[in-house]
Amino acid sequence: MTEKIKNIAIVSLAGLCIFGFFFWGIIQPDQEMSYTERRPLADFPEFSLDAVLSGKFMSEFEDYSLDQFPLRDSFRTLKALNSFYVLGQKDNNNIYLVNGCISKLDYPFNESSVNYAASRFEFIYEKYLKDSNAKVYLSVIPDKNYFLAEQNGYPALDYQELFSKIQEKMPYAAYLDITGLLQIEDYYATDTHWRQEKIADVAEFLAEKMGVGFDSEYELINTGKPFYGVYYGQAALPLAAEEMYYLTNDVIADYHVFDYESMQEVPVYDLNKLEGADHYEMFLSGNKSLVTIENENAATDKELIIFRDSFGSSLSPLLAQGYKKVTVIDIRYISPAILANYVEFADKDVLFIYSSSVLNNSVTIK
Amino acid sequence: MLFSSIPFLYYYLPIVILVYFLVPKSLKNSVLLLASLFFYGWGEPKYLFFMLISIAQGYVLGILIEKYHGSKWSKVFLTTSIVFSLSLLGYCKYADFFIENFNYVTGLSVPLLKIALPIGISFYTFQIISYEIDIYRQNVKAQKNLINLGTYIAMFPQLIAGPIVRYADIEKQLVERTHSLADCAAGVRRFSIGLGKKILLANILAEFVAEFKGTDEPSVIFFWAYALAYMLHVYFDFSGYSDMAIGLGRIFGFKYMENFRYPYISATVSEFWRRWHISLGSWFRDYLYIPLGGNRVSKARHMFNIFIVWAATGLWHGAAWNFAIWGIFFAVVLTIEKQWLMPILQKIGRLSHIYVLLVITVSFVIFDASDMSSALYYLKSMFGLSALPLISEQAVYYITSYKMLFLIGIIGATPLSKSVVQKLAANKSTAWLINVLEPVMVVGLLLLCTAYLIDGSFNPFLYFRF
Repeated sequence: MTEKIKNIAIVSLAGLCIFGFFFWGIIQPDQEMSYTERRPLADFPEFSLDAVLSGKFMSEFEDYSLDQFPLRDSFRTLKALNSFYVLGQKDNNNIYLVNGCISKLDYPFNESSVNYAASRFEFIYEKYLKDSNAKVYLSVIPDKNYFLAEQNGYPALDYQELFSKIQEKMPYAAYLDITGLLQIEDYYATDTHWRQEKIADVAEFLAEKMGVGFDSEYELINTGKPFYGVYYGQAALPLAAEEMYYLTNDVIADYHVFDYESMQEVPVYDLNKLEGADHYEMFLSGNKSLVTIENENAATDKELIIFRDSFGSSLSPLLAQGYKKVTVIDIRYISPAILANYVEFADKDVLFIYSSSVLNNSVTIK
Repeated sequence: MLFSSIPFLYYYLPIVILVYFLVPKSLKNSVLLLASLFFYGWGEPKYLFFMLISIAQGYVLGILIEKYHGSKWSKVFLTTSIVFSLSLLGYCKYADFFIENFNYVTGLSVPLLKIALPIGISFYTFQIISYEIDIYRQNVKAQKNLINLGTYIAMFPQLIAGPIVRYADIEKQLVERTHSLADCAAGVRRFSIGLGKKILLANILAEFVAEFKGTDEPSVIFFWAYALAYMLHVYFDFSGYSDMAIGLGRIFGFKYMENFRYPYISATVSEFWRRWHISLGSWFRDYLYIPLGGNRVSKARHMFNIFIVWAATGLWHGAAWNFAIWGIFFAVVLTIEKQWLMPILQKIGRLSHIYVLLVITVSFVIFDASDMSSALYYLKSMFGLSALPLISEQAVYYITSYKMLFLIGIIGATPLSKSVVQKLAANKSTAWLINVLEPVMVVGLLLLCTAYLIDGSFNPFLYFRF
């Protein structure tokens, strides 16, 4: 190859790249959503003199050009592959991979965050529970880093400190330690959450400790849809889909679940959510502020109130087997100040169950 | 607008290249000027006014300096132009620094102006001053064509991060330059290398620096790793931008001076400054140090000249005391080196590189510090005087995670890879390999940089504050 041919090759290839993506970007219709990142993509910014003079147009155009770039997901994969396998970096955008299992770095222990979460729980206790004869329980769900991080040389928060701190701040709650019942295989490899089919023992343990023990048998049903968890999109790595299962039996199938946001009955397992971006939303219809589960087949008249995050969506249907009624509350989506309008607390069992990652990043709790 | 951004690479650049090469020769400078003003206005529309008025004063006063050459008026016009340029720079860049210090000394509470620094003002101000002085010295003729002068001052490749281009160097190229396939290919290659330095090295090293600054487990080795990462980051950030500027200039037919020549391989600090930000160093030499008398004065005056030049160099980089002290630190080191150290450095041979790297490391820790107390804390920590553990788990994690990048950075900061490529290219049996790999590397770098830009929003540009 002569110098001239080399120069032609350089200019042609670079020109093809720059002009090719320029024209491709113009021709390609804009996408509304990134399904791998589960977020809406930026639209072309509105053009006005004010927007130009303030720099708003330029800033929004930057976002637009990044979001709507042709082959966006493939470029993200290229970057992830380069980070992990060329540069040998241990994480990419804080996402790391151990034996095919993806997790996200979350450290150090954020004491002020745990204190904030505890202060919101204390608000609930003081306002509704203190004089209500309610039995209050606390459990913390270890996130995947509990099993993966330190053991594989990744920075990890001090879980024992987190567990101790939240117990210390909630002296009114009996602590139910479930860490010994869980292992990394109980979680989806590509998602933050635990697998419902792996936590029947956790539900039985919690129910027994709250005095409503049950020993159920379940039918294990495969959703039949490939499951790509939230970390799959963030990792941008070419990983295989997972299988997703749920547990049911005659008792669970007979539940009446009521969603206070839509003010209508919803299924325990909403299979329509399997058509959406987040399949985990099939459990109790996903992120709902206030849901009740009525179990007419319960052996007792006891009622349970669960304060929970998204991990509670798959656990609550299992726990409800021991109760006549379970009220599932997510105070990330409803202010605890208005709960008296919907919930009666007297003589109930009350379980605060949160993942360690939500406690360590509790800014979303109201 | 940043070179290392999708709007620049995939919208602005193809349009400008297309229009530039389609229009006749007589309109090429107009295209470049308009494109440059658009480039500048994209990020800072309100500061276009500063740029336009700077071009206008440079144009009018340049002609007047030339017209009245030999009379006192020539000096008056030169002084007016310099005072105007420095006042604008002083107002935008240093006003709050002076007010803060005035308030500190007097105990008053004069409110700060809180002016956002117009991008590239330090670069184009110095270009205009050099142009006016060169006319006064009759080194160049005043440019009578406003578009040509505007193109020189505002041209987007070197507008926001240099090199500080002398008018004398591109005077002829402004009116009669040629375009060739070879120049275009060389420009594209240089641009893609610069882009790679910026995005694939400097930005990722900055992530290491950010992780270090966010750690709750500081340790002595983590401090040293940070210092190394920051040192490499600054080099690849700035030299990457210079490479992109030189490459873009070459595509449009301009040949800019080199701004960096592997400064970290220097055997003395004096040599380091002959290899680092060459256009700034030579600007201060020609337009400040020599007019002050240089070294052809008394010893005391010479020392004074050195301190003035280096304090100015420091303050040019930023309006804060740590920058001034960074500059003065070099004044002290260079003075000691010239007076006493030179014979020792020549005697110890290669060990002198360790001395240079240590001095540069310390200097960049001062440079990066938010204030002097934090600089002192960093330096004390590096030398084990802050009661920190030698190493922490987080330090091990991040150093392990970034080890390949450190290795690439260290090798990339030396001429090793360039020399290997040159040797292979000179050898007939391996030249074909280089000829094949070069286009692949260019397009590979472009695609990989695009991937990093798309993946992350982390792309701050260090030299905007200049």
